[in-house]
Amino acid sequence: MLNHTENKRNDKFKIVRYKPAPQGTPGAPGEDPTTDYMNVLGMIFSMCGLMMRLKWCSWVAIYCSCISFANSRTNDDTKQMLSSFMLSISAVVMSYLQNPQPMTPPWSNI
Amino acid sequence: SFKISHSAKGKEQFNDDDFSEFEEFDDEEEVTVKPQTKPSHTQNENNKQVKEEEIENQQTIYRKLDDDDDEDEVIVEEDDDNDEFSYFADEEEFIGYDSEKVQGGSKTPRSQEEPKITIAKVPLHLRSNWDSFYLEMLMAAGLVVYFLNFVFGKGKNQKLATAWFEKHRALLESNFALVGDDGKPEIENPGLRKESENVYILWCSGRTLMEGMLIELRLLKRQDLVAVIGQILRPSTDQLIIKVNLDEMDNFVFACGTKKAAGKLAKEMTDITTYCPEKKSGDKFGLGAQFVVHSELSEVAAAILRDHKVMAVINKNPELFEFFHFSDQYSGPKQQEEAQPTKLPQVKSTLVFGYNFPKDSLVSDSLESMKPLMQLTLYLIDKLSHLRLSKDAKSKAEKNRSKVEEAFLKATHAARAEMAQSLREEKKRKERERIMSLDDPEKQRKWEEKEQKRQMKRRAPKMKTLKIKPM
Repeated sequence: MLNHTENKRNDKFKIVRYKPAPQGTPGAPGEDPTTDYMNVLGMIFSMCGLMMRLKWCSWVAIYCSCISFANSRTNDDTKQMLSSFMLSISAVVMSYLQNPQPMTPPWSNI
Repeated sequence: SFKISHSAKGKEQFNDDDFSEFEEFDDEEEVTVKPQTKPSHTQNENNKQVKEEEIENQQTIYRKLDDDDDEDEVIVEEDDDNDEFSYFADEEEFIGYDSEKVQGGSKTPRSQEEPKITIAKVPLHLRSNWDSFYLEMLMAAGLVVYFLNFVFGKGKNQKLATAWFEKHRALLESNFALVGDDGKPEIENPGLRKESENVYILWCSGRTLMEGMLIELRLLKRQDLVAVIGQILRPSTDQLIIKVNLDEMDNFVFACGTKKAAGKLAKEMTDITTYCPEKKSGDKFGLGAQFVVHSELSEVAAAILRDHKVMAVINKNPELFEFFHFSDQYSGPKQQEEAQPTKLPQVKSTLVFGYNFPKDSLVSDSLESMKPLMQLTLYLIDKLSHLRLSKDAKSKAEKNRSKVEEAFLKATHAARAEMAQSLREEKKRKERERIMSLDDPEKQRKWEEKEQKRQMKRRAPKMKTLKIKPM
């Protein structure tokens, strides 16, 4: 192996700065589709939690936004994360405001 | 009925506040007869307490009077209740109201229109029974557990990443001028850069023969409970992916690795699918049966896998080795484009090394076993950039590349012709617009004539001019 120090000192090499791959290229480090899937899923669940007053949907929506938060990238925009949390929390609150009955699990016939 | 007695003396000083008259009344307390009034008493009560504090010390007589008032009040209230029911029987109040009917008078008409009592579905009141909300408590508990796991998982990943970096920092810094790049114009904190909770990257540059090396620590998602459960069902390991951009390298495509990894590479990477799709078993090259080799030129496979240094490191702990992917036609995973791309994807000569972390990397100090892997990587970088193919291997590689080039051109010929056509039309349309916009009719007429002539020429049958050679 070339001896280490000689590697560094000779001037043939050039330092190239790191250029992160453009957003969304597959296979780039940190590219993780789960955060987008979970975001969409969370939106859908909180929508149907709000519209059809299904409480378990709103709870699942909260879990979806938590999962997408856990898997989010550092250079992700926090606005989307915040909006998905707000939506799912509002879904839960709204469904309990409308009828404060305890939640019926999905497998019981609604 | 209530009787309110007023002390006449203090009337003219009344202001509109209805309590003030009672204050006046208080002063006269000792002289006049004890008041019968009931409601005023309660107000008296409040005022007296307030007054009491002020005049407590001079006259203790009020205290005796206070006690009497309280008892009175109690009695008075009882009388008040039974007045209420007699209220209905009061004739003047209810004109034409048949009071006997109320007390259950005639039988016959009442039974038909007996009011049908429907019990309205009143929702259970929230506070009445908390225990019926067991599912909500379960959900909330799940959330708490999720966040606890998030915090611990994040910490574990952080610890593992920094441990790996500390272990390899010395070796990297002796080989590279720049280790760690935080993207800022002048680097403040060199070192690991956190891409996400489980992915850390380290960019190293400033070494001969290469543009740069990107080290990616792809750790397990310890911060996500769902992934942790998935990990229990389908165990996988933390991975170390090193991607090196070489300055120049001979033409060959080579990949080898575990069956799973090599299979995934062969499926996803365009250069492997085009240049070396056929799979050869690893034990032919002394690699061990669990490994598979894809190589365009067998000479390259031999050069790499017959090298005793390489084999020593791999065979020492084979579970750490995941895959190698060395290619001068590297263009990343296949793009899922519907339309046929009109030009070849941009290729770069790249070496990709995939290693696994040892199983118990967090518990014991077993990261030491990963150091030889980094040395192997640096060794292979130097070896491959100096590797020179034999003449026939080189020609074979050249032939492959040109074949691929032609196939691509043929496939995209139609698409490219269309593109060129649309470009030409676009140019013509712009030109016509430019001419039209010039308000000079003379030039427009001339331009149209020229256009006409060109159309005629194209449509006219092609005639060859025959040259008759003089005999």
